[in-house]
Amino acid sequence: MSSGYKSWILLTGFILFYVAYLLFGAFVFSTIERPVEDKLKRDIQVLKEEFLNQSCVNATSLENFLEKVLQANKYGVSILPNSSASSNWDLASSLFFANTLVTTVGYGHTTPLSDTGKAFSIFYALLGVPFTMLVLTACVQRLMHLVTYGPISMCRQKIGMDPLAATAVHFAILLLVVVLGFFVVPAVVFSYIEDTWSFLDAIYFCFITLCTIGLGDYVPGEKPGQNFRSLYKISVMVYLFVGLMMMYLVLRAFHRMADLHGLTSFFQLPHCDEDIEEDKEPIIEAGPEDQHEAEASAKPLDPASHTSYNTINR
Amino acid sequence: MAPPDLLDPKSAAHNSKPRLSFSAAKPVVLNSPEDEYDTTRFTVMRWKTVSVIFFLVVLYLIVGALVFRALEQPHESQQKLAILAEKLDFLSLHACVNSSELEDLVKQVISAIRAGVNPSANSSNQTSLWDLSSSFFFAGTVITTIGFGNIAPHTEGGRIFCIIYALLGIPLFGFLLAGVGDQLGTIFGKGINRVEKIVGSLPQKWKVSQTKIRVISTVIFILFGCVLFVALPAVIFKHIEGWSTLESIYFVVITLTTIGFGDFVAGEKGLEKGGSEIEYLDYYKPVVWFWILIGLAYFAAVLSMIGDWFRVISKKTKEEVGEFRIHAAEWTANVSAEFKETRRRLSVDISNKFERAASIKRRLSSELGLNPITQEMTPGRRTLSVNLGPGDEREAYPNLALSLTPVPGALARNGSGLYLNGLSPEYAEVAIIESL
Repeated sequence: MSSGYKSWILLTGFILFYVAYLLFGAFVFSTIERPVEDKLKRDIQVLKEEFLNQSCVNATSLENFLEKVLQANKYGVSILPNSSASSNWDLASSLFFANTLVTTVGYGHTTPLSDTGKAFSIFYALLGVPFTMLVLTACVQRLMHLVTYGPISMCRQKIGMDPLAATAVHFAILLLVVVLGFFVVPAVVFSYIEDTWSFLDAIYFCFITLCTIGLGDYVPGEKPGQNFRSLYKISVMVYLFVGLMMMYLVLRAFHRMADLHGLTSFFQLPHCDEDIEEDKEPIIEAGPEDQHEAEASAKPLDPASHTSYNTINR
Repeated sequence: MAPPDLLDPKSAAHNSKPRLSFSAAKPVVLNSPEDEYDTTRFTVMRWKTVSVIFFLVVLYLIVGALVFRALEQPHESQQKLAILAEKLDFLSLHACVNSSELEDLVKQVISAIRAGVNPSANSSNQTSLWDLSSSFFFAGTVITTIGFGNIAPHTEGGRIFCIIYALLGIPLFGFLLAGVGDQLGTIFGKGINRVEKIVGSLPQKWKVSQTKIRVISTVIFILFGCVLFVALPAVIFKHIEGWSTLESIYFVVITLTTIGFGDFVAGEKGLEKGGSEIEYLDYYKPVVWFWILIGLAYFAAVLSMIGDWFRVISKKTKEEVGEFRIHAAEWTANVSAEFKETRRRLSVDISNKFERAASIKRRLSSELGLNPITQEMTPGRRTLSVNLGPGDEREAYPNLALSLTPVPGALARNGSGLYLNGLSPEYAEVAIIESL
């Protein structure tokens, strides 16, 4: 059982490395952000004192008031006058919300307030998330054909490049195109439309969104008095979908390249197991397979490997 | 497919197919002669299917949007009215504050909140949002792509670092998850094998089919996992964080599917109940993180399973359609074979009948003294002459009268005699069959 033993050791090694990575990140974040936070705390204290000094308000009533304001703000309801016109739950915004739910981005700038809303979100997510993943992987599979196998084989045949080099070059070009087309260009557009966002903020937003992290500190279309708000939100949705697809595409291309170059075997990681022939079969069109496969698909927990849900999330 | 060493107990049993993906089986080609059109046909089908599914997803989103709007908008309006009333109350109560000052203050407070600073609390004993354990938690939420957002980096340096950190960390976490998922799967597979052995050794009358075992064990796995990773943590959160049952379950589901809204976050007792700070035990947050890891692996498995069911269902449908097509082809083949057989028999029959008709006609003409060569056999006359055959034969050939449509070429060639040998049987039988 040495191989089983080995896999346990590998796994523990991975976990330890992961914990170390987290600690490192924690340390760096802490060092960078903490001073800023302290300064902000001091500033807000000063502000409060100033406010209290110059008015007849006492501390407790201010605290109560602030508490209520913050409570409302948490749910996206603002007390400021010019934001009262647009709702957070009109059709376009609800669609946007459903989309963030289903792609697991989950900004959190608006969250369901009512209990029924929460319960509905649970079921909606449980069904919608695998559904979306299915669609995205099906689309990506088709795209892989078009974008990866076609050009690579063409390169090999016409130019006669060595396959390893061809895949590497192709991957580099693909990466460049995706970064330009789905990070830089949208960031420019966002920084233009949203006047409070700088270019860095917009790139940060694009990255956080397309990785489905979705912190929610930047959400497009939330500025009060936004022109064409519905259209804007819907186009952001489309951007999200297509961007996610491209991310998966890049991921799969990377995985194939790593396979070909032997990296995955080196680290004993799961392989991208499709051959070119096999990958021609799409996820839905699989013909009647042997009994084996039917049995295998009845097993719930086959090793997730690179197509595990969370890696697909990326 | 995972390399064999990660799958030791199962590699002998089957090729592990990855979830949510890409069956490696060759599709069954039903009509083999059309091989050269295969790829295009499959291309057309695949795009069609993908676009159908895409359309379904869009529909799903629209339905969700409508429901959310219906559920949430009234609530939102309520909140708006309430906070407006509060504001007016406050302003009227404290007459020395004017509206714009208040709004300024509120704006500042809100942006401070976004930065994670809680102005409501006493600043001395307030814990930082960026102490080591919270930063650890934040790093975890970034890497798992949950991204609660209750803490977010605000400095430029923090954001750039966040991007780089996530770029490296997310694949790392993905591999970790794959590994954990593998181990879970292995454990589960071993469990199933053991159950199968036990059932196999039972006396004959207790034998249950293999599929049943698998289905039952899947269900048990789901239930057990639900209890361990969903229900139990929900109860614990409800107890420690003071949330309602629904809120705890909501938090668990939203976290484990990595959506991560951030309205509820375990271990970050933030701004809701400003006064009562909950004393968290030191190991609370690491345990929560560990639970997230295992729970994510479990959820990944469950969601893959649901995706697999979609696949299996669609595959079954395709199989049934495929079977139906096979049956239809068989049926068509059978029918045409029978058809041919019937035609053959009929043609033999008809040729016999024609010969007898001819002999009858000859007898008739010899009796009636008609010259078959000089008389033009109009169809009417021919019919009549055939009809004027012996009575018993007329009953036998009722249809013949109806269907002896003249075949112009044949008759002209053969003169007026019905030389059946010259008359191609196909014409006759086609005519007869048409009438039949």
